[in-house]
Amino acid sequence: MGLRRHTNLASYALGSVVKYRSRSTIIVLGLIVSVTLLCSVEFIRDGVVLDLSASLEEGPDIIIQRLEAGRQALVPLSWKETVSSIEEVRVSTPRVWGYMDAGNGKLLTVMGVNVTEYSDIFGAVGTTILSTGRFLDANMTGELVIGQGIVDLMNSAASPVTIGVGSEIQLIDYQGGLVPFEIVGVFSTESKIHSYDMVLTDIVSARGLFGVNVSACTDLAVWIDAGSNTDSVAFIIDSSLPQSRVLTQEGIRSASLRSYESQAGLVGLLWTVILMSVVLLAFAASSAGSDEARREVGLLKALGYDTMDVLEIRTIESLVLGFIGANIGISTAIVFDFVFGAPLLANYLLGWDLVLLNGGLPLVISVEAVFGAYFVSVIPILVATVIPAWRNAITEPDSVLRGL
Amino acid sequence: MTEYLIQAEGLWKTYGAGGPRQVDALRNISLEIERGKCTAIAGPSGSGKTTLLSILGLLARPSRGRLSIDREEVSQVSEVFRTRIRRENIGFVFQAQYLIPRLTAVDNVVIPQLCTDVSRREAGAAAQKILVQLGLESRAEFPVEQLSGGEQQRVSIARGLINSPRVLIADEPSASMDDVLITELLSLLREMSNQRKMTVVVASHDPRVLDWSDTIYSLRNGELAEKR
Repeated sequence: MGLRRHTNLASYALGSVVKYRSRSTIIVLGLIVSVTLLCSVEFIRDGVVLDLSASLEEGPDIIIQRLEAGRQALVPLSWKETVSSIEEVRVSTPRVWGYMDAGNGKLLTVMGVNVTEYSDIFGAVGTTILSTGRFLDANMTGELVIGQGIVDLMNSAASPVTIGVGSEIQLIDYQGGLVPFEIVGVFSTESKIHSYDMVLTDIVSARGLFGVNVSACTDLAVWIDAGSNTDSVAFIIDSSLPQSRVLTQEGIRSASLRSYESQAGLVGLLWTVILMSVVLLAFAASSAGSDEARREVGLLKALGYDTMDVLEIRTIESLVLGFIGANIGISTAIVFDFVFGAPLLANYLLGWDLVLLNGGLPLVISVEAVFGAYFVSVIPILVATVIPAWRNAITEPDSVLRGL
Repeated sequence: MTEYLIQAEGLWKTYGAGGPRQVDALRNISLEIERGKCTAIAGPSGSGKTTLLSILGLLARPSRGRLSIDREEVSQVSEVFRTRIRRENIGFVFQAQYLIPRLTAVDNVVIPQLCTDVSRREAGAAAQKILVQLGLESRAEFPVEQLSGGEQQRVSIARGLINSPRVLIADEPSASMDDVLITELLSLLREMSNQRKMTVVVASHDPRVLDWSDTIYSLRNGELAEKR
């Protein structure tokens, strides 16, 4: 079959898209809304996953907490010895952490670490110090290294404050007293959510801030030997310490994503409803649901069009509508997420205090999300229009034309 | 020697076969259509004229019987082959016209050529030429729903003629036309029939069309009642 014939059929198909412009517009608009919604959620989801992964990469392999009557309680330092005695455990170090008001109602995560042990762990959060600063000194107290997010937060406050290496800030301790700290370094992190608002200090100073006694800590951070099985080590710890709650990286990842997924599920439901409406509309307007479209197929067959010609026309129509809807939908989602920061949707999905996220949402455009958007917009429309057309095209033209 | 283009033998068309609403639309029809001549199928409404035209035009298959075009049996051949025969040899003028709304007259007329290797421009030029012959040059770019019933009928005729078919099958082509237009149409069809050796098969109960025909087959209740 010659190229001219294909060109003619494509021309006819494009003419049909224009001819039924109201139907085409409604289908494209429906696709734009559903694809925008889908992609916005997926870009955020992929960003959250990446952010979480980055954060977990910088964190310990296992975190050990203690539960008392089902509630989290302080961990006795004696546990450290028990955990360290396990063969595969490389480092077990106590942490004292809590949340602290930054002065404008926003909470910072202040974490006290054993500086000697912590600074030896390659890639741990807070150890990648930017420019002129340094990490905490094991012999000093009252020092801070802060995440870039804190610098951004202060800079973008209503009354901007520029802080950096050498700045002195005061934090409020558990008794309401002001405790002076000196910032000795600013660290960078791949995470924009989980580690972005973090402040690191020595464990002694953290104990003073939060009123934690010297024989206890908030949790134990555990790094295991390369190649060891995290779940096996976690099982041994869990068996050795009956009051413990042992969280592996994977467990934290699952728990964090679960809270996100429950929100995203509702958006997904909404997206599905919109897409189904579009598909039903396409189906109703196709040769199955519309007398006019059905007769058109019968007429084309009567005038000498092969079944494949009819399918080619309907396929081109569907692809044009599907790709227009998908392209504009994806573009709108990019603008909505990356330029406007996904207003309302991000708050609903993430549930965190996004004011902290001065670096913007953690967004990722993944090939899977884009491919998925094309797939869910093109394939259903294709099926909803081509299959009814095919059914009519293989029926006797006389029966189709006369509606027999 | 008389040369027949279409030969039908013992054609039956049954709808709802075996069911409580079984209808024999055609019963044992045998006829011969002479090449290059104008043949009319006459009969009252419901006599089976449209069904017979559909079978002769390969739009429907007979339930029983044989149909040959150019001495080739076509009632049982594949749909692909029947489609090709329709595309290359048969033009249609439907009673209900089946023009595609929102398309212009010329866009409707070119439709049969879009599934061929003729370019859109050539098809458009051919359509314009036929529309001129049918007195529609000033209405060529009008959407068909803005045309009168008679104009729509002529667009439908132009569409049936654009592929220069060997057979034109027309169901009530004179409907919605005044006397002058009917006379012009019949004279045009006769001229094309003579020039191109085009065979015309017309279903009609219009006396002017019947008078114009070379042969008339009359149907009554799905049966062939008379040949003149």
